[in-house]
Amino acid sequence: MVKKQDKEKELSYDVFKHELVPKHILLKPEEAKDVLGRFHIKPFQLPYIKSSDPAARTVGAKPGDIIKVIRRSATAGESDFYRYVVEDF
Amino acid sequence: MALAAMEEAHKIIQSIRFTLLSPSELRKLSAVEVQAADTYDEDGVPIVSGLMDGRLGTLEPRQKCKTCGNTASACPGHFGHIELAEPVIHVSFAKLIHRLLSITCRNCGRILLSEEKIEKFKVRHADLKQRLNTVPDAFLDEIIKDAKKAQQCPHCGQKQYPIEHGKPTTFHEIVAEGGAVRLTPSTVRERLERIPDDDLILLGMDPKAARPEWAVLQVMPVPPVSVRPSITLESGIRSEDDLTHKLVDIIRINQKLREALESGVPINIIQELHELLQYHVTTYFDNEVSGLPPARHRSGRALKTLVQRLKGKEGRFRGNLSGKRVDFSARTVVSPDPNLDINEVGVPLDVASRLTIPEKATDYNLEEMKRLIANGPDTYPGSLYIVRPDGRRVRLEFVTDRKVVAEALQPGFIVERHLRDGDIVLFNRQPSLHRMSIMAHRVRVLPYKTFRLNPTVCPPYNADFDGDEMNLHVPQGEEARTEARLLMQVQDQILSPRYGGPIIGAIRDSLTAAFLLTQKSTLLNRADVSKLLAAAGFEGPMPEPAVTKPEEKWTGKQIFSIVMPKGFNFVSKSNLSAYYKCADCDKGVLHDCPYDAFIVVKDGVLEQGVIDKASIGAEKSESLFHRIVKDYGAEEARTFLNAVTKLLDRYMVLRGFTYAFDELEIPPATKEKIAKAIAKAEEKVNEYIDSYRKETLERLPGQSLEESLELYIMNELSRARDVAGEFADQYFQMDNSGVIMSRAGARGSTLNISQMTASVGQQSIRGKRILRGYRGRALSFFKPGDAGAAARGFVYNSYRDGLEPIEFFFHAMGGREGLVDTAVRTQQSGYMQRRLINALEHLRVEYDSTVRDSRGNIIQVRYGEDGVDTAKSDHGKAVNIDRLIERIRLTMKKGVAATKEYVEDEVDKANNTLSPLILNKLRQSLVNAKLPKTAVDETVLEAIENYKRALVEPGEAAGIVSAQSIGEPGTQMTLRTFHFAGVREQNVTLGLPRLIEIVDARKIPSTPNMTVYLDAKHRTSREKAQEVATLLTHATLGDIASSFESDVTRMRIDVKLNPQAMREREITVQDVRDAVKPPNTEVKVEGYHVEIKSKELEIPQFRRLASKLLVHHVKGLPAVRRALVIEEKGEWIVRTEGSSLALAFEVPGVDTSRTVSNNINETAVVLGIEAARNVVIKEALGVLEEQGLDVDVRHVMLVADMMTSSGEVLQVGRHGVSGEKASTLAKAAFEITIPTIVDAAVKGIVDTLRGVAENVIVGQQVPMGTGLIEVSMSMSRKGSK
Repeated sequence: MVKKQDKEKELSYDVFKHELVPKHILLKPEEAKDVLGRFHIKPFQLPYIKSSDPAARTVGAKPGDIIKVIRRSATAGESDFYRYVVEDF
Repeated sequence: MALAAMEEAHKIIQSIRFTLLSPSELRKLSAVEVQAADTYDEDGVPIVSGLMDGRLGTLEPRQKCKTCGNTASACPGHFGHIELAEPVIHVSFAKLIHRLLSITCRNCGRILLSEEKIEKFKVRHADLKQRLNTVPDAFLDEIIKDAKKAQQCPHCGQKQYPIEHGKPTTFHEIVAEGGAVRLTPSTVRERLERIPDDDLILLGMDPKAARPEWAVLQVMPVPPVSVRPSITLESGIRSEDDLTHKLVDIIRINQKLREALESGVPINIIQELHELLQYHVTTYFDNEVSGLPPARHRSGRALKTLVQRLKGKEGRFRGNLSGKRVDFSARTVVSPDPNLDINEVGVPLDVASRLTIPEKATDYNLEEMKRLIANGPDTYPGSLYIVRPDGRRVRLEFVTDRKVVAEALQPGFIVERHLRDGDIVLFNRQPSLHRMSIMAHRVRVLPYKTFRLNPTVCPPYNADFDGDEMNLHVPQGEEARTEARLLMQVQDQILSPRYGGPIIGAIRDSLTAAFLLTQKSTLLNRADVSKLLAAAGFEGPMPEPAVTKPEEKWTGKQIFSIVMPKGFNFVSKSNLSAYYKCADCDKGVLHDCPYDAFIVVKDGVLEQGVIDKASIGAEKSESLFHRIVKDYGAEEARTFLNAVTKLLDRYMVLRGFTYAFDELEIPPATKEKIAKAIAKAEEKVNEYIDSYRKETLERLPGQSLEESLELYIMNELSRARDVAGEFADQYFQMDNSGVIMSRAGARGSTLNISQMTASVGQQSIRGKRILRGYRGRALSFFKPGDAGAAARGFVYNSYRDGLEPIEFFFHAMGGREGLVDTAVRTQQSGYMQRRLINALEHLRVEYDSTVRDSRGNIIQVRYGEDGVDTAKSDHGKAVNIDRLIERIRLTMKKGVAATKEYVEDEVDKANNTLSPLILNKLRQSLVNAKLPKTAVDETVLEAIENYKRALVEPGEAAGIVSAQSIGEPGTQMTLRTFHFAGVREQNVTLGLPRLIEIVDARKIPSTPNMTVYLDAKHRTSREKAQEVATLLTHATLGDIASSFESDVTRMRIDVKLNPQAMREREITVQDVRDAVKPPNTEVKVEGYHVEIKSKELEIPQFRRLASKLLVHHVKGLPAVRRALVIEEKGEWIVRTEGSSLALAFEVPGVDTSRTVSNNINETAVVLGIEAARNVVIKEALGVLEEQGLDVDVRHVMLVADMMTSSGEVLQVGRHGVSGEKASTLAKAAFEITIPTIVDAAVKGIVDTLRGVAENVIVGQQVPMGTGLIEVSMSMSRKGSK
């Protein structure tokens, strides 16, 4: 039922317009380094996002990148989250 | 444990490495080669080189081990070995062996991939390892898949054959010439030996830990006797352990095989023996292998061999390592005692004089200790043991003259004395679903045989007194007691981490009493007031009487005010207000409520309102009691609750309270009204049935005519019961005890009262009237097809009047469903809880306030997104700004209101500390409050202060708390699968089944649906919305066909279309022409006639085509079965049954920015992982809320973040989150014990013991909370002193 979407196909809708999808920002290498430094971690210790993820595709993320997600939060109003882009098998 | 042993430096296990034992290692480890298939000789002496050889360790006390020289208590036991005559396959590794054989060359042993490919994979291997720190299994599978394809070895050119794995332990090579060649274990072993180490590494194995050929056994280890002790029965007959039996079999067959090999017996006999040996070895390891009959004991019972020992609930991992039996514990029935403090537990004298606490004798307590020793074990207070500084224990029971021993006591001795008042103990009731199931209490030694507890602590334990038993544990160490006292006492657990409100509070009679006491009409005389004040522990002058003439009288409110803290202000509505629907109460405006349902407390004085469940009840957030806990702290809350329960208990005794049979009586006039109401409903039901028979009944959308009829009738009858209840309710006044109890929230509901007095009403099974039983009727007393009220389980009578036999039977049917439901539910929710706990147990809040797993991987960047601990929050909010401002307004001097700019500047100063949500609220409230500057400053300061105080502490076991918070309410959920969501036509799975579905991350939920929002053009009118709905609904050829004829002889199908059906679905003939184009056919559509002619189709193919044609897609989204148009919040939307987001987004008129699905996996694919996370949260919260369960978002968020942290949605369970855990031991203890360990051994995995389960298993301190803190000393640096 749930089929993987065609990897090359352009999405006909803008995922970021959808209310369920928070803002995703592709971090520049130096920003990414900053994040890793802040938490004293290696990139693989962040939560993952697949490079095939519609949101990741829309921001043009490649495996190895780090995406910053600005979530609308029920508790804090707004909160930042980070995901490490990985290829999918 | 002896003191000497305790003081020995204990070592900490840092890691455990899993490997395979090589034959040479096995021989090296062995103390003896076991050759004889025997245990003892006739005299009971172990046979040398037999299975009970003395060198394998010793069991008899005072017998020395022949290997290590220790006695039984110190001898660890020593392994022996058996030299197998022929190699044998180890069952657990058979799959691995098969995989290796299929992907490596039968000649040279290399992986069947070209050198370049291997090189490529190696590069990717290294790259993945570097970037992800692990190599995903999916990558290894890719290599295997690739290598399996090879027909020929790229290295030596040898032709390859597919290998077939005959379960459980045989392998066949399917040779090209036809026929299968059996591979003997020796051949298998030889082939495995040839695989080079480098190739194994590429396959994820660690050749240093496990060479594959070691999985084919040449040598078998023989476990020490302590692993398989023989037991002597009372009759003196010795009985051997199952393992020993199995080893005997192995040795016997092994010997036969060896002899056969040496004497040159025919090959088929040798093979037979070898197979038998293989069978015995296999069943020795695992006696539940599929495809093999289990080895049996003489009695026919299947033997419990190695795998069976480890596996399952009673296995080694779950039964003996994760949970152990303990000393210093007691269990008995519990009973209530409102005279106890809430943090006390009444301990029977018998229990108190069996449990002990070790107390060190000092100069200060020497005399007392001497007295305790002199008293001995049987006189309370006494002692059971003395431990001398050298570790020697003296059991006082056996001491004849205790006086002498007592006099010999010196400081430094340890006296194990009886439990006494004030000692700290842990009290627990199973099932331990949340942390409040184990709390620390202070001991009160009491007569009789039961544990006593204050009834206010029943809710956290979920205890009642219908025979419940509870457990008591006595912490033995000073550290343990201190920790229990500081963290686990009842008063510190009043606020539940599930929702940030009190879980402890008044229940039952206390609530009735509070209600009665604080009613306006309650006036008390001097004598009663004195008694009440004394009970509450009040000391001080009597308050001024409220009434002086003709007699001094005090109001109940005055008395209640005595126990409230001074300076306490509070405004709220009572439980009562829910019954009167008082608008002012709902709005929360100060007013003089006619029902006294509005509570006003000013400076600790109850000015108006009755106190009931909403004020001091358990599990009520934002209540009077909640405010006291938050504002005055746990200790004050405890004092308050103690005083309240004692006061109310005394009031109940003074006043007296019963609910008697005659209070259920209603006058004939009311009775008649009730009978009439029911009769009228019945009439209506008959009308429905009539119109159903005449087929004039209006069909509800999406429902069959029968279903519609049932819905109409059920509706009517439930209304009838409600009306009957209302009549009864009108008759009963506030002087009726039942009404009092239900209004106070003490017990019972209006429904209970009306069932007792008016009519019991409809009995149901699976949410429907009772339909099952005989054909067309439930019982043989009715005519088949009778759909009337009586025939399908409507109970006219009330419980008071008594049920007719048939009614009684129906009632029993409904009652039985309830019982079955509860039984099923506890099982299901228990398993869900176990999975949640296991998936999240290792999550912990770190010092940087991230939530991380035991690998150090981040699960949440900030705990709960705002870093606030729910237990320290105010019903989920970090700061209760309204209350803060209110308090400051009351305490601070009045002045000129600060300007808006000033407020905003001040609030902005807190930008970096407070969360945006609080900042906004603070800004808004302060502007509205118009406080002077100083008050504004103070508010901001206090808001920051409060926020900081509400933050989680590092080390908090956030995962466990969240898992408990979601799992615990599971037990309270209904199992009722279906529920009408908004529209009565739509069924949605809710309750426990839906929650389980969510944490299971099922690919397709049982009731998938979409909420389709529409664009500006379509959302304004029903008609426009319906257009979109029609586009969404799936229509098949069958749906629009009026006739369908398939003619096999002419290979032609004729379909006549139904113009009306087509119009309804807005399908044109052209649509049909476009849609119906099955392959290899010729389709002609003329008017409403479709002609399908076969081109070169065989008859079976034609038949298949004909059968599929009716469900052939014509229009709409294949997944969407139905689409309903609903108006919601002023716009028209479409709710669909069945979900297909991606396709729905393509439909014109659909708003692609708001349309959502309840299918989590689908959302992940279409909108991404973050959207999926949001759906998990939304759906789970929705279920909990619908069930009326208060669970904080933070817990649901943590579960959702854990489920989505890998980038795809993982289930909470062995195939998802738990399967990804770092620790082998933790995984083994959860579900798939054996394969987990086998896999770890093959890969040479090192378990670094950083989680919870694994440390429990090895018996070490858990790295969470207080277990995380270590004291370390900084060594002086070079140059400094």
